[in-house]
Amino acid sequence: MNRQCTGHEASVDMPRRELLSRFGMGLGSLALAEMLSPPGAQAAPGESVAADKLPDEAGVLKSLHFPARAKRVIFLFQAGGPSQLDLFDHKPLLKVKHGTELPDEIRQGQRLTGMSGNQSSLPLASSPFAFQQHGESGAWLSELLPHTASVADDLCIIRSVNTEAINHGPAVTFVQTGTQFPGRPSIGAWLSYGLGTDNANLPAFVVMVTKDKGGQPLLSRLWGSGFLPSKHQGVRFRSGKDPVLYLSNPDGIDADGRRDMLDALRRLHELQLTQQSDPLIETRISQYELAYRMQMSIPEATDLSDEPAHIFDEYGEDARNPGTYAANCLLARRLAERGVRFIQLYHQGWDQHGGLRKGIHRQCLETDQASAALVRDLKRRGMLEDTLVVWGGEFGRTNYCQGKLQGDNFGRDHHPRCFSMWMAGGGVRPGMTYGETDPYGYNIAENPVPIHDVQATLMHLLGIDHERLTFKYQGRRFRLTDVHGNVVDDILA
Amino acid sequence: MSRFSILCLLLSATAHAADPQPVSFHFDVNPLLSDRCYTCHGPDKESLEADLRLDRADGIASVVTAGNTEASELYRRITSSDPDERMPPPDSGLLLTPAETDVLRRWIEQGAESTGHWAFAPPRKVPAPQEEGTTWARNEIDRFVLRRLRDAGLSPAAEASRERLIRRVTFDLTGLPPTIEEVDAFLADDSAEAYERVVDRLLASEHYGERMAGEWLDVARYSDTYGYQVDRDRFVWPWRDWVIRAFNRNLPYDQFITEQLAGDLLPAATDDQILATTFCRLHPQKVEGGSTPEEFRIEYVSDRTQTVATAFLGLTLECARCHEHKYDPITQAEYYQLTAFFDNIDEAGLYSYFTQSVPTPTLVLADEPTKEQLAGLRADVTSAEQRLAEIAAEQRASFDRWLETARGKSGEQAPTELAPGEIAHLDFEGEIAAPNTATAGPVGQAVRLTGDDAVPLEVGNFHRFEPFSVALWMNTPDHKERAVVYHRSRAWTDAGSRGYELLIEDGRLSAALIHFWPGNAIRVRTTRPIAVGEWLHVAVTYDGSSRAEGLRIFINGEMAPVDIIRDELHKEITGGGGDNITIGERMRDRGFTGGMVDEFRVFTRRLTPLEVSHLYQGNRLTELLGKPVGQLDDAERAQLFEYHLSTANSDYEGQLTETKRAREALANAQNAAQEIMVMRELDKPRQTFLLQRGRYDARGEPVLAQTPAAFPPFPEDAPQNRLGLARWLTSDEQPLTARVTINRYWQMVFGAGLVRTPEDFGSQGQSPTHPDLLDWLARDFADRGWDVKRLLKQMVMSSTYRQSSHVSEETVGTDPENRLWSRASSYRLPAEMLRDAALATSGLLVERIGGPPAKPYEVEVSFKPTKPDTGEGLFRRSLYTYWKRTGPAPVMMTLDASKRDVCRVRRERTSSPLQAFVMMNGPQFVEASRLLAEHLMREHGEDNATLLTDMFRRLTSRRPSEPEIAILTQLAETQQARFAAAPEQASALLKIGASPHSESLDAVRLAALTVVANTILNFDESITRR
Repeated sequence: MNRQCTGHEASVDMPRRELLSRFGMGLGSLALAEMLSPPGAQAAPGESVAADKLPDEAGVLKSLHFPARAKRVIFLFQAGGPSQLDLFDHKPLLKVKHGTELPDEIRQGQRLTGMSGNQSSLPLASSPFAFQQHGESGAWLSELLPHTASVADDLCIIRSVNTEAINHGPAVTFVQTGTQFPGRPSIGAWLSYGLGTDNANLPAFVVMVTKDKGGQPLLSRLWGSGFLPSKHQGVRFRSGKDPVLYLSNPDGIDADGRRDMLDALRRLHELQLTQQSDPLIETRISQYELAYRMQMSIPEATDLSDEPAHIFDEYGEDARNPGTYAANCLLARRLAERGVRFIQLYHQGWDQHGGLRKGIHRQCLETDQASAALVRDLKRRGMLEDTLVVWGGEFGRTNYCQGKLQGDNFGRDHHPRCFSMWMAGGGVRPGMTYGETDPYGYNIAENPVPIHDVQATLMHLLGIDHERLTFKYQGRRFRLTDVHGNVVDDILA
Repeated sequence: MSRFSILCLLLSATAHAADPQPVSFHFDVNPLLSDRCYTCHGPDKESLEADLRLDRADGIASVVTAGNTEASELYRRITSSDPDERMPPPDSGLLLTPAETDVLRRWIEQGAESTGHWAFAPPRKVPAPQEEGTTWARNEIDRFVLRRLRDAGLSPAAEASRERLIRRVTFDLTGLPPTIEEVDAFLADDSAEAYERVVDRLLASEHYGERMAGEWLDVARYSDTYGYQVDRDRFVWPWRDWVIRAFNRNLPYDQFITEQLAGDLLPAATDDQILATTFCRLHPQKVEGGSTPEEFRIEYVSDRTQTVATAFLGLTLECARCHEHKYDPITQAEYYQLTAFFDNIDEAGLYSYFTQSVPTPTLVLADEPTKEQLAGLRADVTSAEQRLAEIAAEQRASFDRWLETARGKSGEQAPTELAPGEIAHLDFEGEIAAPNTATAGPVGQAVRLTGDDAVPLEVGNFHRFEPFSVALWMNTPDHKERAVVYHRSRAWTDAGSRGYELLIEDGRLSAALIHFWPGNAIRVRTTRPIAVGEWLHVAVTYDGSSRAEGLRIFINGEMAPVDIIRDELHKEITGGGGDNITIGERMRDRGFTGGMVDEFRVFTRRLTPLEVSHLYQGNRLTELLGKPVGQLDDAERAQLFEYHLSTANSDYEGQLTETKRAREALANAQNAAQEIMVMRELDKPRQTFLLQRGRYDARGEPVLAQTPAAFPPFPEDAPQNRLGLARWLTSDEQPLTARVTINRYWQMVFGAGLVRTPEDFGSQGQSPTHPDLLDWLARDFADRGWDVKRLLKQMVMSSTYRQSSHVSEETVGTDPENRLWSRASSYRLPAEMLRDAALATSGLLVERIGGPPAKPYEVEVSFKPTKPDTGEGLFRRSLYTYWKRTGPAPVMMTLDASKRDVCRVRRERTSSPLQAFVMMNGPQFVEASRLLAEHLMREHGEDNATLLTDMFRRLTSRRPSEPEIAILTQLAETQQARFAAAPEQASALLKIGASPHSESLDAVRLAALTVVANTILNFDESITRR
């Protein structure tokens, strides 16, 4: 109901949960929970908070718009712009045309980056890697992806993704937040806001970045909550001692000591409550108790020591080394098992402006096996059905070479007009290759999938109409897909 | 009480639906029309349906008949059961609730009054209500508040306890907790003025300026780094210190606005006033390779404009960037008219990757002695230059002698040696490195360039105080929009073009010396395009003066007429890499594709016109030097005179060396001076355009700087620039600035604004809780000279402010959101205050005001880790914490600090377990707990009860109760036992933090008390503002 009585800042003085408990009401209480929905929250009239969740854990959507095919998402973000022409998009014509100029009628005057835009010559460059068809579906994949090839029949490869941005910062921001410029919430934040969490002892939105990778820098706002309440922002799990900032007790304080302290704190707070009935104090009590539980649940979730040896074999030896992509993939599965809604991995280093051959090979060695293992592992556990795995970067790479075409050790510049991603599980059609580019691999020939469509489809699979999950900020109802986005029905299972 | 009746109760307090009172168009009806109808029936002409505008009185009149719902089409539509008729359309998700429909019904029945949006009319002159029979009301604020409380059947809360009050007001005005001494002094002072004395003391404290600046940094999107992806450090903190000083000297707020927007345009602007304009440059800036500079320059201009709109007008202006505003009367053209005020500085879209140049325009930040030194050096240069001219004039006799004697010998020299100072000569005979190719040149062979392959030289790293010349033959195959003929630089935009260059721009030759393009450079460009497909002899000569007039272009031996494009060079042109001259290609720039070059020569002198002419013709010098003196005409004598001075006159040469020395000394001093980004108006205004769909490359109609028509007109006598805009913002008729400002300060002091959407005073924003009070305060503030200290004093002296925060059953039912200000607000203290309070109570806080950013422990665990400081930097107020946009201080972020990406006027307040981790486990807080324990052990010895009482008081500003002391004592004892059993645990705990722990104190007890201190630090009363 009634935005008038909640407005932007209903909870300044009175967190709704406390108000409810003060009056001794059930926490699922329909009318009140609605009325005291969080600031800016926009759910259609008549929807109600899922009855089995505390309001703090529940999302703003009181019921899903569609039956959900996926309950959670693992987004394997490949930062830097992986070259689709050397991984997924097989272009025999480029073999023939190798070294010749990119024809003007193909380029169509499209803007190039300042890195190659002033080159006098734009020579076409064919992939130095062999392509082959795989699985029953006959998906084309390059020799760089032998493991991905082994799960080809579980994947839906989209070769016609396209974006508006041509440089890393804006392009990654666009994929993650639906606009190129800073300030909007990321996908994970939208999902946390809309769907809430299935496990209050873990964050709803976890981010893991492969350690020690150079390449184009990432920024924490990529998993920020923008104008949504900050509790929806991604929590980055670190690879060091503390997966979460200052999670561990300080040196010299053990679990018993911490319990003593929290007990004393609780008694102080309870004493205070007898003097003054104040919802903030109750919030404080639950905040510290939840912190204590998280101090248990996060180390449990991130401790890989109980994983059997064959799992490490499957994900690769790297999986034993915390902070690697393989270890993060394995961790992603554990978090998915424990009800984390959105798990975002970042792997940097796909920005092969030069030295493509060696560079992309190394990238694939780091990611191919673990990505495939994750899909297989989820499938074996029956979790692929309701877990959507997405693999992709912020843009593709040009079919022409950046700088000089000398031998096969050339590079490719950024290319926004077409690139490839794959999805698996979570209601996406397996064993499908969707969309087509022209024989030069420069423009889309069939079934373009703009980034907003990827986002709309992702939300659809989670049961959300991307046009109806909105947040009112500065007078306007914002959504992930801005004013764009169509669900790509063709790829739904 | 049934659930339902509570619901009704709550409803009646918040929605006017159940009120018996008349419906207000402003506060009840218009918000509904805006939120549900404007999408299709609002100001945006693009999406307008049925030609019906409900944001206009005539539009409303066309569908509403006053007093008659039956005859009102609007009412028929909102109540229709036919989905095709029903408004808003059922699939829009904007349906009206029954209560909302009822509001519209009663509005029509009551006469359907409609006026414009309340916030766009100037604040009304409203007298404060006369409330009878009360001693509660101390000032006008209280009378307005009391009137509404009484209307709602409530009475104000009792006054807060003295301990609470001093704690509250000390945090609110200085951001720090009161000391025990301050609390005691206040408790002991039973005079009527006791509280006022505290308030006056706080307002006079230097920490007041720090607290106020902290709030302003969010609005100003202050950051110590550029932001975006690469996010390098930048030097802007002197602006932050300007803000602190401005608040401490109580600069009137209209001045505060004016100086930050237009300090550079004030008559006889001081450096301090210019420094204030750094405010306009604090937006993120980009350096990522390959970006389109104009795309980002436009972004900066938009950010400046939107920041001003949010900060001073409370308008969501950015909505109008791509299309007409959907809710407020701002057209897209008006958006771009406003941006035109901020479009007019000489800036680049990208800062420099390869150099540390400060993006222009800049202010040289120099102290007085440095300024004097610079002035002295400048005078030295001027007098050396004057002396040079004098010496030239004195050399007639010497010239005549030389004409007779010395010049005869020149016949013995080879013609090419007649122009001395040559340090490089490429003749392009022999093999040409592929893929550039050989071609026929004016002298033997020449090179034809691919445009992607450079021809490097091994010379050319000139300073700007050194004269030098470059001469070459060149031939362009076509009319080039842009081509690099030669340059000395690492790159184009990636280096801010640092160095020097000869380009073809729009077919014209363009020579420049550059520190940072465009604002710190000299450039001249030929007025006419050069001939295409012809060999031209080109020479560029430079005299070492750092002035555009010292830079000349010669074509075929003649000095070419040029336009001066830039004439502002005051920093070095060396550096960045690429130290030598390169022909035909530059990183990420357009090369001289298909261009031909021959006989490329570099000289360490400024060549005279005669020498240039000689290089072109091949025998001009030989010819003139061989000509009998009597046959020389005046022009030839003049040319020879200049040649003589430059090549064969030791007096002149000596003074030339002196001049160079003076210029070098000035250049070195200028290079050493620190610069900061500021605003400086371009001499010739840049043409601003409407950008279709907000795209930088989709220019529509040209627009001029102007303010939106829906607001009071631009002052007639004001200049059409930022200064005029500042006057418009602070004029008496301006409806928003004063309201928006007092609302933000109300929010700062009372915990929430009178308008709860401080960022949006437009029709989609919330209505004020107390419209009359808002207007009264806004008028009072502007009428009394925009005096911020006075405003804050008014607020904190009020009885409304002094209320207890105690939540009674009665008020929570009637006023759950505290919209009636029926009590003081309570909320968790902001991030900075939590950390600063821990530092202050433990004695660790370094109280120095201002200075470079500090790096406390947390920067080491940010997403972009940096090394923390050692010493002082660990313990400075959080206001000074190094702010890195791509990885902001993680403790601050966890505690809901603003990210400072864009202007924010409100912070959220959340409660998450991650905050508990920071406060319980973060080294800053653990160390502070230990220091507090150490201090108290020294002060109180073995007496645990006294010690714990003092500890509790320092952290909460009140005395603990008996049961509280009992809990703490018990905790201290269990911890004592725990650490006694495991002393190594005690020493591990005590090692946390950079400050050494006292060896003389009992480690076990100290560890135990550290745990107790940390427990109290995490106690609600330490971290909650009540």
